[in-house]
Amino acid sequence: FLAGFGSLMQDMLWCFSQVKGTIDTGVTEADIISTVEFNHTGELLATGDKGGRVVIFQREQESKNQPHRRGEYNVYSTFQSHEPEFDYLKSLEIEEKINKIRWLPQQNAAYFLLSTNDKTVKLWKVSERDKRPEGYNLKDEDGRLRDPSMITVLRVPVLRPMDLMVEATPRRVFANAHTYHINSISVNSDYETYMSADDLRINLWNFEITNQSFNIVDIKPANMEELTEVITAAEFHPHHCNVFVYSSSKGTIRLCDMRTAALCDRHAKFFEEPEDPSNRSFFSEIISSISDVKFSHSGRYIMTRDYLTVKVWDLNMENRPIETYQVHDYLRSKLCSLYENDCIFDKFECVWNGSDSVIMTGSYNNFFRMFDRNTKRDVTLEASRENSKPRAILKPRKVCVGGKRRKDEISVDSLDFSKKILHTAWHPSENIIAVAATNNLYIFQDKVN
Amino acid sequence: MLGRGLKRKLSDYEENMAGLSSAFDSSRSLPYPLKRQLVLNMCLTKLQTYKMLVEPNLHRSVLIANTVRQIQEEMRQESNQQPVNICPGIAPASHSYTGMESPGIPLQLPSGVGQQESHCCDLRSVEDPIENSLLIVSDDDMSSAISSILKDLDFVEDISPPTCLVPTGDDQPKFPENTGLKLEDDRQDLKGAECVFGSFEISNSTSYLKDLAIDDIFEDIDTSMYDSDFCCPPLMPPRSPSLATEEPLKTFPSCNSSSANNIQICRTDLSELDHIMEILVGS
Repeated sequence: FLAGFGSLMQDMLWCFSQVKGTIDTGVTEADIISTVEFNHTGELLATGDKGGRVVIFQREQESKNQPHRRGEYNVYSTFQSHEPEFDYLKSLEIEEKINKIRWLPQQNAAYFLLSTNDKTVKLWKVSERDKRPEGYNLKDEDGRLRDPSMITVLRVPVLRPMDLMVEATPRRVFANAHTYHINSISVNSDYETYMSADDLRINLWNFEITNQSFNIVDIKPANMEELTEVITAAEFHPHHCNVFVYSSSKGTIRLCDMRTAALCDRHAKFFEEPEDPSNRSFFSEIISSISDVKFSHSGRYIMTRDYLTVKVWDLNMENRPIETYQVHDYLRSKLCSLYENDCIFDKFECVWNGSDSVIMTGSYNNFFRMFDRNTKRDVTLEASRENSKPRAILKPRKVCVGGKRRKDEISVDSLDFSKKILHTAWHPSENIIAVAATNNLYIFQDKVN
Repeated sequence: MLGRGLKRKLSDYEENMAGLSSAFDSSRSLPYPLKRQLVLNMCLTKLQTYKMLVEPNLHRSVLIANTVRQIQEEMRQESNQQPVNICPGIAPASHSYTGMESPGIPLQLPSGVGQQESHCCDLRSVEDPIENSLLIVSDDDMSSAISSILKDLDFVEDISPPTCLVPTGDDQPKFPENTGLKLEDDRQDLKGAECVFGSFEISNSTSYLKDLAIDDIFEDIDTSMYDSDFCCPPLMPPRSPSLATEEPLKTFPSCNSSSANNIQICRTDLSELDHIMEILVGS
């Protein structure tokens, strides 16, 4: 099944598969999902939340009994990745919220992932244990030490099967390298290094070394009063381990090559679209701030998300994007209200499907949008409990901008701005998507014909 | 109007701001300078709110500061081109706005009602509950608002620059060039503190501490026993150990406050100090 390859939007119907999380209307702040990420095979799906916890779901093996239902995701491991900390020197609380999770490619039986809060990146090892040694000489089965003088016979411990246990252990802690809040981490294609980016700096780490990092980008001015721009996201090229990009609050993207200099303050490429004078407003700069940047799987394109649009850029063309998609342009006339209630600062992420033919991003009212780059068709879907019957097909939603509202449409003024979909993920090779709606995680699959 | 489910604060001011921003969005014939003024007020209010926070959001602060700068620049160009105030609805101020410390920045009502269009009148009725105090924000006030919040951000955050393995072009840690007088004083305090605490840096992260006298913070603590000049050696052999530990702790908060410009840091017994620091840091 060549998922996503050449799929036309009209043929692709999305069905509800699963939802994780409580149904309670009162949401505990700690349960709010703050990041979602599939691993490289799609077998595992990780979420991080504001309470500093990581929950990993594993896809169960497909059964012959139910061929129409692809494997479901069940909880595989849950652990507390970050705890709240207090910086005594600065009298600051450091939030335990997980900002990003990134998986390492699997190299042995164990799984490795990076998780980060505002200040500290951690490398976690998730491994299975289904055997345990029995028959120690110096201690008995309860772990109590035996009196050595009572031991008359030596035996060799043997491995006996036990119930499967999944344990997560922190293998590395990369701390004290970021003065400002970390917004991105990205694993390099060499699988030996990764980078972490905060508002003003980007650091390069070696997985084995936790007490040092290279500073590769520093945009902090000598005088903070001159500060007009911050780093908002950063990512390594999927194939070229010396190339990375970072986006800014001014709507620009810089591509850097680490071979040219130790400190990549001078970019190799600079992507910026000239401003459209007809759309100019007081909020133009704020809505141009890029909230997410993602390389395509092919490495030929980058996708950026700003407040109202998603843009696709060709690496070979710096002066404008090759495609621009309107996510919710009806909000353009509401910018002052959205500025007043701070919604204008919401940071939406964006994702590619496995074949780079479809892109997806979230919106308000628990809506999320998909754009087919080939057919130019788009669809708006909703993650809600009402549409959560097993294998129920998701009905496209529509926002009515003005004039007469049709029966199934929703008017702009009725949108719930507290229900925002900031984080979504797409399975690397199949049409399975994970959508985080506040404290619930929805998993949708395309309908298998 | 904003969508349902949105938390709405109860204060009158904020309700009115929400009403005003709705008016901004929905009204097409709102005069441009009025719109601009509204946006400016919102920006300055936000910056003011952020100043109160222990750790303002750098990204948002920069975006808002840029918006203020943009409006500032526009207003400068207008005043250069036309000496007369172009919007008859907003009366020129006889004195500049001084209420920067107050959390709310009320919108000035257009004083000349005579030639108002109906929309302006509608706005007035919305704004009536708002205190009708003066509002025109001077250029300097805007600049100082931006400067102060960005400077505070720097002072809060960047105590320890990142460790670099490869020497960058600039080996010296970058020090912000602070022209603000209050920050100069802070740096001198730090240098005084450093000689006692060695490499242990103290940062003054909240600007509100500057406004409080040191005595106010510790009003409820009986300091009558210790009301001597700080130059006197605080540790005497006959004192019980508990008192001895209290004494350095009392000097510690005074080092934290930048308003203690003229309090001299005593040279206490360094081993005692190390012991105290170990307890505080929890090592």
